[in-house]
Amino acid sequence: MSPQNEQGVRVVIGGTIDIECTINGEPVAVETEVRRSLSDVIRHEVGLTGTHLGCEHGVCGACTVLIDGKAVRSCLMLAAQADGADITTIEGLADGDEYHPVQQAMHDAMAFQCAFCSPGFILTTVALLDRKPDATGDEIKQELSGNLCRCTGYQSILDGAAKAVELMSETANPPGQPTADQASGERSDV
Amino acid sequence: MTDQRTQTSGLGFVGQSVKRVEDARLLRGQGTFVADVIPSNCLHAAFLRSPFPHARIASINAAVARKLDGVVAVVTGAELEQMTNPFLPFTQQAGLYTPLYYGLSAERVRMVGDPVAIVVAASRHIAEDALELIEVDYEELGPVASISQALNPSSAQLWDKANHNLLYDHTDQFGDVDAVFASADHVFTETFSCPRQSNQPMETRGTLVEVDPVTGDVTVRSATQSSHALRWMLAAYTERTSGLRSLKQFLTNSDRRSGFLAGAKAVFAEKGEALQESDNAGMIDQIKSDKSTVPNLMRTLAGVAGKERYVKVVADDIGGGFGAKGSVAREDVAVAAVAMALGRSVTWIEDRVENLMDGGQAREEDLTMTVAVDADGTLRGLKVDLIIDQGAYPATPVGAALTARIMQVMQPGSYRFEAFEQRSRIVATTKGKYVAYRGPWANETWARERMLNVVARNLGMSQTEIRRKNMYGDEDWPDPANLPTMLTGPTLDVTMSVRKTLDRAIELADLGTFDAAKADAESRGKWFGVGFASYHEAAPGPPNYFDSINPGTGALVDQPGRVTVGVDGKIRVFTSQMPHGQSHETTYAQIAADQLRVGIEDIELVFGDTSRTPFELLGTGGSRGGPVGGGVVRKVSRRLRQELIDSAADLLEANPDDITIEAGNVHVAGVPAKGVSFADIAAHHMKAKGTAIVDRDAVFDVDDNYNGAGDGGWSVATHVCWVEIDKDTGFVEIPRYLVVEDCGPVINPAIVDGQVRGGVAQGIGAVLYEKVAYDERGTHQSTTYLDYLVPTSMEIPTIEIEHLETLSDGENDFRGVGEGGMIGAPAAITNAIEDALDVTITEQHLPPSRILELAGVVEPD
Amino acid sequence: MKNPKFGYARPTTLDEALDLLASSEDAKLLAGGQSLLPVLALRLGSPDLVVDIGRVPGLDEITLAADGSVAIGALVRHAEVEDSHTVAGYAPLVAAAMPWIGHRAIRNQGTTVGSIAHGDPAAEMPAVCLSTSAVMTAVSARGERSIPAADFFDGFLTTALEPDEILTKVTFPPWRTGDRGAVVEQARRHGDYALVGLSARVHVTDGVIDEAVLAFLSVASTPVRVAAAEESLIGSAPSTDAYALAAEVVSNNLTPGADVHATANYRKHLAGVLTKRALEQALMSEVAA
Repeated sequence: MSPQNEQGVRVVIGGTIDIECTINGEPVAVETEVRRSLSDVIRHEVGLTGTHLGCEHGVCGACTVLIDGKAVRSCLMLAAQADGADITTIEGLADGDEYHPVQQAMHDAMAFQCAFCSPGFILTTVALLDRKPDATGDEIKQELSGNLCRCTGYQSILDGAAKAVELMSETANPPGQPTADQASGERSDV
Repeated sequence: MTDQRTQTSGLGFVGQSVKRVEDARLLRGQGTFVADVIPSNCLHAAFLRSPFPHARIASINAAVARKLDGVVAVVTGAELEQMTNPFLPFTQQAGLYTPLYYGLSAERVRMVGDPVAIVVAASRHIAEDALELIEVDYEELGPVASISQALNPSSAQLWDKANHNLLYDHTDQFGDVDAVFASADHVFTETFSCPRQSNQPMETRGTLVEVDPVTGDVTVRSATQSSHALRWMLAAYTERTSGLRSLKQFLTNSDRRSGFLAGAKAVFAEKGEALQESDNAGMIDQIKSDKSTVPNLMRTLAGVAGKERYVKVVADDIGGGFGAKGSVAREDVAVAAVAMALGRSVTWIEDRVENLMDGGQAREEDLTMTVAVDADGTLRGLKVDLIIDQGAYPATPVGAALTARIMQVMQPGSYRFEAFEQRSRIVATTKGKYVAYRGPWANETWARERMLNVVARNLGMSQTEIRRKNMYGDEDWPDPANLPTMLTGPTLDVTMSVRKTLDRAIELADLGTFDAAKADAESRGKWFGVGFASYHEAAPGPPNYFDSINPGTGALVDQPGRVTVGVDGKIRVFTSQMPHGQSHETTYAQIAADQLRVGIEDIELVFGDTSRTPFELLGTGGSRGGPVGGGVVRKVSRRLRQELIDSAADLLEANPDDITIEAGNVHVAGVPAKGVSFADIAAHHMKAKGTAIVDRDAVFDVDDNYNGAGDGGWSVATHVCWVEIDKDTGFVEIPRYLVVEDCGPVINPAIVDGQVRGGVAQGIGAVLYEKVAYDERGTHQSTTYLDYLVPTSMEIPTIEIEHLETLSDGENDFRGVGEGGMIGAPAAITNAIEDALDVTITEQHLPPSRILELAGVVEPD
Repeated sequence: MKNPKFGYARPTTLDEALDLLASSEDAKLLAGGQSLLPVLALRLGSPDLVVDIGRVPGLDEITLAADGSVAIGALVRHAEVEDSHTVAGYAPLVAAAMPWIGHRAIRNQGTTVGSIAHGDPAAEMPAVCLSTSAVMTAVSARGERSIPAADFFDGFLTTALEPDEILTKVTFPPWRTGDRGAVVEQARRHGDYALVGLSARVHVTDGVIDEAVLAFLSVASTPVRVAAAEESLIGSAPSTDAYALAAEVVSNNLTPGADVHATANYRKHLAGVLTKRALEQALMSEVAA
């Protein structure tokens, strides 16, 4: 995670913490109880209710947000952990009236029904395609298996993600770099 | 990027995969779900719930919790009983006992998760802190954890006024059952068991009760499948008014004439006689069992009649329901009562653990199927002994008894039986409440389609042969004026095209390839099998369908609709349907736009708000959104078009027959340049009508009802499932899944396919992954998503769909498709697994360990 | 489902973190939080103090030593381990375990060392540690000590760590010429905790197995090895018969429990099946050769 606030913090039971971070490109400062999850703070203190809570114990993926471009479960993080982080929520994807390519592809594929799960699926797809712009059908299926949808049987969502691969390869390279590893080594037999 | 805006004007939206109107907000995270609205100073509710399946509450002490900083109120079950009325029988069947119960339990808890107190506090966090400070002294009573325990006379009794734990026991016969069974060559019998499943919409339940601090007006925002039903129930259960005061208010208060009472009055005036026919016998039985029904009913009716101001219910976006949000929750009543008492807004958002405990469970049924059949495979007679495990508290308004009735009507399925008997029993157990779940009657299909395969195996026939031989087909209705009926009552016609779907499925499945596929699978260490299942469902069903379930209920199911044009030319369609994923805003715009020759974006759908939408109690459910919901939109839109044309003819000084509409331009045919807009016509109409028009938003205002009469009909399908089962691990793979379905003309193919696939996915979940687990002590073992396994993208295969589109003769051909996937899938999958393992399978839930037990590889523990 | 109250501290040095940990009777360390946060949300635990070591420097590295051993620091995320060429090259069993751990979103936030310190017998990394003879580095105000994996997992969610100790890194010994391994598991759904799984490491010299470690997950209160099965492999050439014998010994020696997902008998059976599959996968190149 980077960049971060590097100061130490000590809060007693019941106390609050000041958090500064960037959400969808905007600087945000909130004072919140330390026990609050990132999802609660994003929804109720920042007012971005597109991040949905489906299970609050890390299984359904509806609360997925991007932190420094990586998909994480916002229900499984304290807001305090995200102090200093660069966060993207579903509200941060579209450019005015223009959908993000992943949103556009999901729309074209008629991917969702009730769409309660859609923020998580869309952001997970954005993160995947950032890491693997040419993700295969199997990779998409594998990666999106961390998000639950109860309406669609998934096919339309997988189709949408596959369309997004096409759409994004047609347009300019999306921002973000594939994860680089510091060291490289010779792979042994496994 | 292109958006909905490009889908402009023209004719023929119906039948196209028009892109979803809903996406514009939902894909941007700009939907409005109930948890997204928190008024300033709103309080947050949390419920204290029983950890025991069955216990007496010896004492409850909330003194410490009440003193916690941030806690505004704690209300216990005993206190809530003083503030509210109990839930009362609504669809009361003859012979059914419906226990009375309140929003919270006061003296006894009857399931894990039974709410005993509500805390409202400044935040949900604080409310949950307070729950830990409430002391409850429970004295444990015996659990009733299964159907067999419930029927065991030595088990604990849950409801004092019931016949032990048996709430309903009813038998009906159709045809000469004894004679048919005596004369048949063979009689086969088998008992099939389906464990408990859960609807599990991704959005849990939730209700915000907003109280205007100045006026006291109450607005309820809720994740509900029927805002009008919720409004009625909340009015009934939160109002306790004396008879005298009530009478006075009834006579003097004008508000009672608006909204609910006006709607209800109209319905009862028109249909009262028919409704009485259905309800009286049931209510008499109920009162015989439980005399306290009478004063509670009187107090409730007095409260409703004399209520000064009805709550308004608003519902915007809803994150799925699958039947679970069709019930009015006990929690809703508690939250509303406390909010009204405090004069403060209160929100309750169910969490997933609460949802798994009591957000809706379903399907737990045993069915003993006895079939009389001749040696040549001719099906003669069917006897069914059905037992439903309804859990501790009956769901309302649609309880298990209604499901039992529907199961009975549909049980003979698409086959020509000569005689049929069904015994239906409902038992109470210490489990979460049994609700409607996508095709609530689906186990009639599962058990019948399983039993057909058992019969076929015994007779040495194939599963497709026995079906083809006995299935209704077009030769059964040669004369449209003299249509046959199912043994149980509903009329069959050309829309019951199930055999066409079977024939097409057989063709697509290519039976000749099965042997090679089996050999190939064997070479890879796998068992191979294929399962077929066929069904027809009433979506919406023929006109006599509801009366076949329960005489008189047909009167309740008219679907109202309304369309208006404002002085600005804006077209609004009003529906009592409550969209929660079905894409009504898109499909209704397609239907209305086709009738009015305008663009998709020209139609606004108004739903969910009881102050704006027509009164109707069913909301969305029963695969009715397309056929009757869409049907009435077509009906009112067509009428509106004529009114617009008539008015335009007046404005343009032309003959109405010469007027045409193209892309919202109303003109004399051939002279589009001299056309007028809807706004022009509205302005003209307003001038012409003068003061008769009071609402500038509704210069044209067409409303009507539709119930499918004259068309209606059946939605049908055949499912085929291929399985390969790993002989070492028992894991089931589905290499191919085929659905051939016929729901008449498809409004929007992509949306219909999504409904079918979503239903099949839930069926796959039911058989291979999902189970609401209680142990024999009644302990709930699946209260998180680590234990209740909703399938992921890795578990759901590609599902092939082929549409047949049989037309009927009526004016509206749409037939429903919401439930079918879930009705056919469990049968097709279990039939395939049976085919692969070559053993008789009698249960619906088949996790890998059970598969290997059935295959004889692993011993049960 | 909201977290209970707790105190929170976010130290910026290891010493400060150790002081904080020692300052409270009931302090919990927070690194990625993918195990702790659900415990808090479900109110299964209610610590006085949560010590968030997320900003402590020096704990976020994967280091390759000259001898070929690989050390993973306490703050390295699973996803970083998964993507690391160093891990893939020099600690291949660790790399093989990664795709089995939850889903990518969990691996982006959860830490590999945190998963080991949590000591969940259903998790992959404890079994991998056993099978690779990993070495735990525990630090407290009293100093630093090394704990072999074999002595680390004491019981269900219990390890040899003292309450005031932090597991700062885990070191995986060099992967030698002749080492072969596989991580195999079977879960109800993709990404779920395994019904049964194992991390298998065998060493082959001149076509004969001379070392075998079979470490199982989800069959007991800790990750466990089955010594008798390991011994049955020693001295054998890789072969279907040898695997089948080991599988049978595994099934006969394990006593897993039952839950809503599977019976005990099924788990015993599955452990044997997976043993065979793991050995086949690990030794595929040997058999082919």
